[in-house]
Amino acid sequence: MSSTFHGLETSLRGLRTHQSALNTTGHNISNASTPGYSRQRVNFSQTEPYPAAARNRPQVPGQMGTGVEAGTVQRVRESFLDLQFRGENTKSGYWASRSDALQKMEEVMNEPSDHGLAKTMDRFWQSLQDLAVNPEDSGARSVVRQRGIALAETFNYLSSSLNSIRDDFKTQIDVTAKEINSIAEQINDINKQIGEIEPHGYLTNDLYDKRDALVDRLSELANVKVTAVGSGGQSLDIAEGKYTIELMDASGNSIGTLVDGANLTGNTLEILDSDSNGLMDSFALTPFGSNTQGPATPIENFTSKGKLLGLIESYGKEDTGGNVSGIYPEMLSKVDEMAYQFATEFNNVHESGYGLSSTSPNTNTGKKFFDELTSTQGAASQIKLHSDVTGANGLNNIAASTDGNAGDGSNALALGEVKDETFTFSSGDSTLQSFYEGIIGEMAVDAQQANRLMDNSNTLKQSVEERRQSVSGVSLDEEMTKMMQFQHAYNAAARNITSIDEMLDRIINGMGRVGR
Amino acid sequence: MRVTQSMLTGNMLRNLSQSYQRMGKYQDQLSTGKRITKPSDDPVVAMKGMEYRTDLTEVEQFKRNLSEVNSWMENSDAALDEAGQVLHRVRELTVQASNGTYEDSQRGAIADEIGQLRDHLINIANTKVAGKYIFNGTDTTNAPVNADGIVVRPNGTEAIKIEVSKGIKLKVNIDEDKAFSQDLFDDLQGLVDELNNAGSSGEQLNAFIGKVDSHLDEVVSERAELGARYNRVEMVQDRVAEQEVIANRILSDNEDADMERVIIDLKTQESVHRAALAAGARIIQPTLMDFLR
Repeated sequence: MSSTFHGLETSLRGLRTHQSALNTTGHNISNASTPGYSRQRVNFSQTEPYPAAARNRPQVPGQMGTGVEAGTVQRVRESFLDLQFRGENTKSGYWASRSDALQKMEEVMNEPSDHGLAKTMDRFWQSLQDLAVNPEDSGARSVVRQRGIALAETFNYLSSSLNSIRDDFKTQIDVTAKEINSIAEQINDINKQIGEIEPHGYLTNDLYDKRDALVDRLSELANVKVTAVGSGGQSLDIAEGKYTIELMDASGNSIGTLVDGANLTGNTLEILDSDSNGLMDSFALTPFGSNTQGPATPIENFTSKGKLLGLIESYGKEDTGGNVSGIYPEMLSKVDEMAYQFATEFNNVHESGYGLSSTSPNTNTGKKFFDELTSTQGAASQIKLHSDVTGANGLNNIAASTDGNAGDGSNALALGEVKDETFTFSSGDSTLQSFYEGIIGEMAVDAQQANRLMDNSNTLKQSVEERRQSVSGVSLDEEMTKMMQFQHAYNAAARNITSIDEMLDRIINGMGRVGR
Repeated sequence: MRVTQSMLTGNMLRNLSQSYQRMGKYQDQLSTGKRITKPSDDPVVAMKGMEYRTDLTEVEQFKRNLSEVNSWMENSDAALDEAGQVLHRVRELTVQASNGTYEDSQRGAIADEIGQLRDHLINIANTKVAGKYIFNGTDTTNAPVNADGIVVRPNGTEAIKIEVSKGIKLKVNIDEDKAFSQDLFDDLQGLVDELNNAGSSGEQLNAFIGKVDSHLDEVVSERAELGARYNRVEMVQDRVAEQEVIANRILSDNEDADMERVIIDLKTQESVHRAALAAGARIIQPTLMDFLR
């Protein structure tokens, strides 16, 4: 026989369970706008029917239901979408940082325009033509000098602007590495909490959300792989466990552990410039709390394609073979090369000509126009006019003439022809102009590709995010509907209690006065 | 697919921002008149743009050089014209003096005039344009002939060359050792001396007519050569003017925005934007809550 109060208990369970469902609905609604929140659901399950099938079971007809209970509160989420999202987020982080770097470069180079290096060069060549026509004119000479100064200053400006932007990337690399480390530590902390709670048979939904949000953020900075490690004890099957997070290289191999879920520890990532030459050459993973740096790995092994790698590639790195690569160092070395070749050749031609002189025969020759540059490196930052030309009598030292006569402008013409001379650059033979066009063209194509891939990965990321929202996002309409459903069920359960109450009242207080 | 409010809001925001981005692009195009604002918009257009700009600068420079060429040649031509007239007058006077009927005082007057004409020729040889002596080779800061009619640099006849088109350098000065040679001034001085010499015969004077003629020939032939060169300059000038038009047009074709098209695109985008806003306004507002009271 079942208990007299069986019906009360059944309905009470209904009340309790629906109350908890309503509470969860409230939690969902409250977090409708919380980033990273996944909606939660109470998993209802029927309680054991009465009587349980057993040898000593009471002989009653049929098994009677005993009501409902709130089994678990679970996140509604699809982990495959997380995987996809993180993959796209990594790419988008990488291309966004490259695109940003190239965009800044485009702004500095400022081509094609009336203010870029190309125009400044054109103006300089133009002033030489004017000098060739009017070699005895000090006006034409001072225009050449001023345009020469402008040209040197444009080279200096390009060099210093590129360098200062590049320095910013260094800071950004440090900040990004710190962010990665901070996220790793936070995830490790959450792992610890989860490891303490899960063995008791609970699902730590809100901690899961927090942790997944951190992993999402981390995936933008570097390519990571997440593996779950069970917590043991009385953990539920659907418990997610502790995360182990590894840095992955481009071909999908682990290059180091950031968070170790099994041992509740992790590593701090550092990007190093061990020989302090301004180029990143290695990275190291140091265990949390350790004072001795972990073993350094060559930078070329760091191919984890996230924002961090994008920054490293913008700033510049040096592999073990001493090969330098990077968007900014490469551009700087090209501009240097151009400045060096130009200034050196221009000086050669200049030194062979004659300036203006009152002495006859004219001995005003062998003067330099630009300061002599000793090496290609840093040429763009060092190029400036020689004191021969800027100092006293400087205008007369500009060598416009090949025969020493005042009216001869043929050396000025020869100087102007440096423009069309073919130089041997590291990338092949070309004129200054086509070399520079090549630089700009290459930069433009790089930037275009970075922009396009950033757009693509953003679009993909967004569509995955949308699908993720579609699964995990809170819909107010839906919560509203569920709220009504739970409310009605709650009310009905309460009404059931009333009806049982009335039934018992009938039995206890309303039936006849037998035996009194 | 399950669709939630926040997805709609997110999408709407994204669409609106993309729409703004596109309108921003059209605004850039309209306000700069250029199809691209940075090289990555179109690397090919950017690279070509740099090249065409240089071409245009060059052509403009050649135009400027050509006006200098004109100044040299026109001034040289005018000076040679004047020198020709002076020599004609000298010839006339020599012919008059050589017929033997003039008295000494009359010959003296003719000698004086020829002396003056000789000085004038010295002045012409020392013609200065914009501060430069145009008949002294590349030594433009010094006078070619001194007051005594001595040619200072008898062999200084270097060509002054001006670039008028890519790689084409034109000589703009004349061969002054022919037009204004030491012989010219010596012969005229000789003529003056002969006229002042009471004993000189008509025949002796007659001999100078031939000399004057040969100098006149030289001036005329220099002038003819200059004229021929000037014809070439005119041709180059026409071509450079044409090149300037072409360079401008190519530059414009390459990177200028097609205004009509941009305006229409902008209008289209504007209407899309309005539609997006209107759709947003309709979608965002009502929820189930609004209907369940």
